[in-house]
Amino acid sequence: MRNQLPALRAARGMTQANLADRLNVSRQTVNAIETGRYDPSLPLAFAIAKLFKCRIEEIFEP
Amino acid sequence: MAQAEAAPVKYAGRSYLLEISFVTALYVAAVWFRPWLIAQAASHEMKLAATVLPALPIWGMFLVVWRYYRRIDEFERQRFLEVIAIAFGVGSCLVCTYSFLADAGLPQLAITWAWPTLAVSWAITGAIFHIARR
Repeated sequence: MRNQLPALRAARGMTQANLADRLNVSRQTVNAIETGRYDPSLPLAFAIAKLFKCRIEEIFEP
Repeated sequence: MAQAEAAPVKYAGRSYLLEISFVTALYVAAVWFRPWLIAQAASHEMKLAATVLPALPIWGMFLVVWRYYRRIDEFERQRFLEVIAIAFGVGSCLVCTYSFLADAGLPQLAITWAWPTLAVSWAITGAIFHIARR
């Protein structure tokens, strides 16, 4: 699944570690989502969307 | 699952290392003192308790692994379960293969070898996956 996470994160000047802390996941998990190696669960996708004040479909696309 | 209210995921590995080191030390101590405790046992019940003593830290290890699993995030859990499934499959096959070889004359090993075999298989599989996923 493609996503806009790297762009959204960069626009806010956040590192993967910063984002991981905010979501309470590991940095490896953020990296895996950004590179498309892992599709997050709905609760995590909602948490990401809430953090960036976006809708899920604005961040993730099939 | 997002874990905003849970303990920070980033400390899961550190907590695991501390806890597993502690129960491993308990296990070594239990194995070390076991013969002395058996020799000192005054009753059959005391001897039985001394004999089974090293099994308690083994249960502790299981608890530590479970606590680690509960602390990590969803992606880490997926990888954890993948490694454990492959490792225990390989370990079970190794134990089974050796049991057939033992029928052909190789030394019979006690059933207590099953757990170290699975543990070593788990450690090796984990290390291989860790390197491969970099």
